[in-house]
Amino acid sequence: MLEIRNLHVSIGDRPILAGIDLDVKAGEVHAIMGPNGSGKSTLAQVLAGREGYAVTAGSVRYLDRDLVGQDLLALAPEQRARAGIFLAFQYPLEIPGVANVQLLRSALNSVRLQRGESELDAMDFLDTVKSKLALLDMDESFLYRAVNEGFSGGEKKRNEILQMAVLEPRLAILDETDSGLDIDALKTVAHGVNALKHPERAVILVTHYQRLLNYIVPDHVHVLAGGRIVRSGDAGLALELEDRGYGWLIPESGSLEEMRP
Amino acid sequence: MNPTLYRRALEHTIGSPQQMASRKVALERFFTHGLPTPRDEDWKYTALDFLEQMDLHAPHAAEDWASEDYPGIVMRFGNGRLTDADLRSIHAHGLADHADSPLVVRYLGRLADTLPGGAALADINSALWQDGLLLHVPVGWKASPVFVTHYASESDAMLHLRHLVVLEAGTEAVLVEHDQGTPDLPYWHNSVTEIVLGEGARLTHIKLDEDSAAATHTSLTLVGQSRDSRYHALSLLVGGRVARHDTRVNLNGSGAECQLDGLFIADARRHIDQHLHVEHAAPHTTSRQTWRGIATGRGRGIFDSRVVVQPGAQKADAQQSSRNLLLSPHAEIDVKPQLEIHADDVRCSHGATVGQLDEAQVFYLRSRGIAADTARALLLHGFAGEALGLLKNAALSDWLEPHLAAALPLLNKELTT
Amino acid sequence: MSQPEVSHPDARNAELRSRVADEYRWGFVTDIEQEVVPKGLSEAVIRLISAKKNEPDFMLEWRLQAYRHWLTLTEPTWSSVHHPAIDYQAIHYYAAPKSGSQPKDLSEVDPELLRTYEKLGIPLQEREALAGVAVDAVFDSVSVATTFKDKLESLGIIFCSFSEAVQKHPELVREYLGSVVPYTDNYFATLNSAVFTDGSFVYVPKGVRCPMELSTYFRINARNSGQFERTLIIADEGATVSYLEGCTAPMRDENQLHAAVVELVALKDARIKYSTVQNWYPGDAEGRGGIYNFVTKRGDCRGDRAHISWTQVETGSAITWKYPSCILRGDDSVGEFYSVALTNHRQQADTGTKMIHIGRNTRSTIVSKGISAGFGSNAYRGLVKVLPSAANARNHTQCDSLLMSDHCAAHTFPYIEVKNPSATVEHEATTSKIGDDQLFYLRSRGLSEEDAVNLIVNGFCKEVFKELPMEFAVEAQKLLAVSLEGAIG
Repeated sequence: MLEIRNLHVSIGDRPILAGIDLDVKAGEVHAIMGPNGSGKSTLAQVLAGREGYAVTAGSVRYLDRDLVGQDLLALAPEQRARAGIFLAFQYPLEIPGVANVQLLRSALNSVRLQRGESELDAMDFLDTVKSKLALLDMDESFLYRAVNEGFSGGEKKRNEILQMAVLEPRLAILDETDSGLDIDALKTVAHGVNALKHPERAVILVTHYQRLLNYIVPDHVHVLAGGRIVRSGDAGLALELEDRGYGWLIPESGSLEEMRP
Repeated sequence: MNPTLYRRALEHTIGSPQQMASRKVALERFFTHGLPTPRDEDWKYTALDFLEQMDLHAPHAAEDWASEDYPGIVMRFGNGRLTDADLRSIHAHGLADHADSPLVVRYLGRLADTLPGGAALADINSALWQDGLLLHVPVGWKASPVFVTHYASESDAMLHLRHLVVLEAGTEAVLVEHDQGTPDLPYWHNSVTEIVLGEGARLTHIKLDEDSAAATHTSLTLVGQSRDSRYHALSLLVGGRVARHDTRVNLNGSGAECQLDGLFIADARRHIDQHLHVEHAAPHTTSRQTWRGIATGRGRGIFDSRVVVQPGAQKADAQQSSRNLLLSPHAEIDVKPQLEIHADDVRCSHGATVGQLDEAQVFYLRSRGIAADTARALLLHGFAGEALGLLKNAALSDWLEPHLAAALPLLNKELTT
Repeated sequence: MSQPEVSHPDARNAELRSRVADEYRWGFVTDIEQEVVPKGLSEAVIRLISAKKNEPDFMLEWRLQAYRHWLTLTEPTWSSVHHPAIDYQAIHYYAAPKSGSQPKDLSEVDPELLRTYEKLGIPLQEREALAGVAVDAVFDSVSVATTFKDKLESLGIIFCSFSEAVQKHPELVREYLGSVVPYTDNYFATLNSAVFTDGSFVYVPKGVRCPMELSTYFRINARNSGQFERTLIIADEGATVSYLEGCTAPMRDENQLHAAVVELVALKDARIKYSTVQNWYPGDAEGRGGIYNFVTKRGDCRGDRAHISWTQVETGSAITWKYPSCILRGDDSVGEFYSVALTNHRQQADTGTKMIHIGRNTRSTIVSKGISAGFGSNAYRGLVKVLPSAANARNHTQCDSLLMSDHCAAHTFPYIEVKNPSATVEHEATTSKIGDDQLFYLRSRGLSEEDAVNLIVNGFCKEVFKELPMEFAVEAQKLLAVSLEGAIG
């Protein structure tokens, strides 16, 4: 579904990713772990099409029905979203004046149009959204509040998963969705993600801690350090990291600065 | 200056000998300073010299016209005169018909004729006003919402509307001023609204300016507030070629509170200059200003706000906020948020920004599948729509919403449904 | 033409002096023979000043043009300050310590003058001088000494009195004088252009980083005299310089006019940091006397990536009226303004800045802290202007007022004019008083009320103090404490 080859990314002249290779297949859950500053979030943002990052080498191919083998990096953010890629933001933005329901409906209808489906009318749309609200244990009043404005940290994260549940992406990338959540909220979020698991879908979990992986069990775990994947393994690797930390995986001279040519 | 122009217009006014005498005094007062010029600090950004190049004259006919439906009592004005008064109205009347009533004699001009330093446009209005609204709510009443709707249809007409609102102690009212005109017709609409709020009275005042894109609209709203009264204004300023809107609130009684909210959209070649002036003249008074602006095309928006805390007005609490979006290379935004504090135990702040839509927000929406243009339109609508949210009155915001949507540039209609 | 008179400062009432000395400890008068040009302003006086300074013709011409222009102007009235009309014919436009000629070194400087500066804490003997600070001392109308000149000369840096620059570097003066503040600029700048008597001149050549702080110490001593100095600082491409200015005056019952002009020119990649600790005599508690400080200060970021930073701590003067400004012409140039203005008793201040964004990616920061006590009146007035050419311009303004009495006043008059849609301008202002609960909290921790007030005031001003060179930051804090004595209670 996703094929990343030798991906190099910089911000300004500072390299952040220094050659990432990753294959994600339909039905799989991948966890990308790593210490702060390892480039995890950069990878997530680049996949979603955030401006301000320069891809200096490598390619990302997204193997969807409609976009077979197309270079993902050439697509605008909204084209990626319509092709089924969803990024749950680490820091969801507040958008005063724009109601949640407005965002959800505009987004869902543009995704449906892309898929060749008809737009939902207001009633059908509400029915769809309500079932997803229930899944995440959210009150209907959430729909009429401005997007994330005045939401608590936990509410924002749940709102991201709500958007994901409504848009039903094929590839979901969750950027530190577990950070700042208490245990109950974490379970709710995990429940929402698990409910979306499907043989046709893939999930990439970007996380610093193993905690979330107790609730969403990954098929593959990758450790990112110094802008590279330094180790890959199965769910056991995450447990090992929990015990031993990241230190043993990071080469002594592993700082990115020293890797510069 | 061309005094004949104004003298001729004075001949078209009517009234009792007493009234005519006071009109003449006002006109002479106007002649002592003439129209304001950019040399006056308060008119730094707006020139009116073009007005006297027009073929200005008093309007000939008060034409009746078919207005939209309004959710309340409707007072319909055409070319400066009352053309249709709502039969259901108990508290709203035509001002010209009641010009000699003791109430009008007592209150008319009380605020407008005593402005410190004088005010040329108020003086012209006091001399030449044709008609307007008299809204008087006696003790014990709660008035139905009153919609004063004005339509200008005569080229180069000088339309001086004068409104007087007197809410006695403990009463409540909603006043909506809606101004329109024949598209692309040049005329000068100069209105003065005097508002007297008795102890504990509450007024919600909406101003929707949709004057023609060739019109000049100058307006002055003067509010005198007694103890514990509350004045909440929402201005939606989207009309005129040159528009200048002044609001001056005197918080005279302890516990008085005003909230001045607004939104302007200076698109095309529109020039919108807004001045707010709040005087905290008593202790424990509160003022809030939340103003938003959008300038695009060759539009220019000016927001000038002055909050004065007078000596002794301790515990005054004043907050001003002015947020502006500048969307095109030929547009301009000028902001002057001023505080003048003469007491120490006060809480005053202001914030002003001029910038663009937040690209991080645009990205967030795009990452949900929304096209970039639609995302921008959605954000713009969100930015502007928040002004209506401050109203906390569903019936009024529902009425305003389509007017707002019609005025917003770039707006994708389907988003608002 | 009348002969210059020689004035003998009258013996001041010693008791009076000691009684108020605590409040303004810089208020003594130096007993020194002075050469003073008769009161009044005329072409003849200007010619006399120019002749005394042995100026080349272009200077005299420039002065006379300014004077003729000045005659066509009227005194501006738009500020929030109030004062009785100034009688421009009652001012001595030139006062100088009487000595034969310009002293060549310190041994020729009148010992009384050296003692004056020592009393002010500005030793002019290099061995005692503040390490790393070169000082130009201006006494009334003329510069009396400049320290560390040789060391600076070895780097090609010119640091001297303005008069000396006119003699030795006329080409530089001619090129830059009036190029930032033209003689037509405003009433007081025009007056200054006609009659200025001395000031400091700095030129830092290409690529040179000035190794020490340059400092001018201005002292008004003579009675009924105005001080009209002119400072011109040029940082050539890639040069860096930090300049400090301090000022005091004796306590006198009459008001004295100080109308200075400062011009800064920063070429490509140059940096100028200009710091002021202004402590002119503020007048007494009833508002008698004190300096009218009407000053025009402007910097021009003429090249790309130029950087001009103004920092001012204004505690003195009866009236302060000035707006140190930056013209951000070069792409990526940066302007900064950090200000603390304190008004106590009957002092008035109307101060702020102008940031004119012309080049692309220009940035400006404004931090203004106003403190009003007693019957003091403090106004921030500022302009942020973004012209159509200034793509991606950024400004942030923070304007805070602290109120310390119920008779004082604090005003904020910002002007924001934006003509480029990629610009971002943010302005914030707050007004607050020292909270009783804050004071109580600190006192319950053992601080005296005065210490508590000082602590809070210093906290309030921290963002500005941290921009000052260290010794001056300490000085500024002390100055605030002294100026605020008795302000609460």
